[in-house]
Amino acid sequence: MTLDGGSGPQGSDLGRGALPGRVDGAREQHAWLFGQFRDTTALEASRLAARDGLVALHLPLVEHCARRFRNRGEPFEDLVQVGTIGLIKSIDRFDLGRGVEFSTYATPTIIGEIKRYFRDKGWAIRVPRRLQELRMQIGATTAELTQVLGRSPTPRELAEAIGCSVEEIVEGIESSNAYSTLSLDATDDSGEDGGVSMLEVIGLDDDELEQIEIRESIKPLIEALPSREKQILLLRFFKNKTQSEIASEIGVSQMHVSRLLSRTLAQLRRSLHESS
Amino acid sequence: MDRPAPVKADVSLRVPAEGAYVSVLRTMTAGLAARLDFTVDDIEDLRIAVGEACALVLPVATPGGDLEAEFRLTPASLTVSVRVETASRADLDYESFAWQVLSTLTAEATAHAGDQRLEVTFSMDSSLALSDGRQGAGG
Repeated sequence: MTLDGGSGPQGSDLGRGALPGRVDGAREQHAWLFGQFRDTTALEASRLAARDGLVALHLPLVEHCARRFRNRGEPFEDLVQVGTIGLIKSIDRFDLGRGVEFSTYATPTIIGEIKRYFRDKGWAIRVPRRLQELRMQIGATTAELTQVLGRSPTPRELAEAIGCSVEEIVEGIESSNAYSTLSLDATDDSGEDGGVSMLEVIGLDDDELEQIEIRESIKPLIEALPSREKQILLLRFFKNKTQSEIASEIGVSQMHVSRLLSRTLAQLRRSLHESS
Repeated sequence: MDRPAPVKADVSLRVPAEGAYVSVLRTMTAGLAARLDFTVDDIEDLRIAVGEACALVLPVATPGGDLEAEFRLTPASLTVSVRVETASRADLDYESFAWQVLSTLTAEATAHAGDQRLEVTFSMDSSLALSDGRQGAGG
């Protein structure tokens, strides 16, 4: 960013409708827009336009802040949106006379807004704020220490790095599990200890699941049968024909069909057991 | 209590044999492992392992019975047994998903079915001890 030009266009002498694009650096643009926005003599519409311009100008700052909170289970766009609220607040409250950079002033406000969003919206179960903040610290420190140590850290190492007790770390890790309720034994919110757990709701495995396995393993075995046996199986179990009907269809006696069927079935059963 | 006695320490806990109490066991396991210098990842694995061990024994538990858990602590490893009373002999299903998960996560997992009880035992070593032993580096 350059500041070479010195004084950019100032105040309302440019009149409303003057495009900020005429100004070169973002810094001048910022100063000009702020002048416009804070000019109490300017028209309401031009002040609001300047405010919009300021928001648009600093949106990348919001995106930068929001990016720090990526991969925490909330959509990036939502974070940008709540961060933008922080940005608007900082624009409204920023004191030009203080002599601090706007970004210095706005960043904590934007991050604060995003953090508040996580605190209020993100949690599936309400957890004390102290623990929520500890959890964030644990998350960040875990990532850091994993890099340094080449393995995940122990609670003791985390406690030393953060400066709290092992107890608090355990508590903090425990509270992380309240962030999303995916645990099998998590109870629903019908009561503190009287809720129904997922484990109880899930119940038993479906019987049909085992059928799939059997069906899939029997397929190649049927494929390998001699064609006459295969045909008899097909007629008997898929077309629901009686043994006598099958007998007349393929031209053997009913007794023979019966013998062939039971032999084939026994053989299939045996190979199925062997293969499993 | 900052650290348990290094030589031999046993902790046992008895809760009703109901799914809702599994979280108590998981929390207890995590708490113990944290003091034995298990890493955060180990602790997460242990929590899962306890959950799966309970999932193996709870379905056959006598209604109204107890779920007993025993933790044997050594400096860098933790052995956990969970045990329930059963109405009759109930053999463990070694093909079950829960057993697959349990035996994959842990250093060793065994099950013992008695006439009226079913017990699942598993042990896990701290990967800190393993990696430090290999690299000779301290935290």
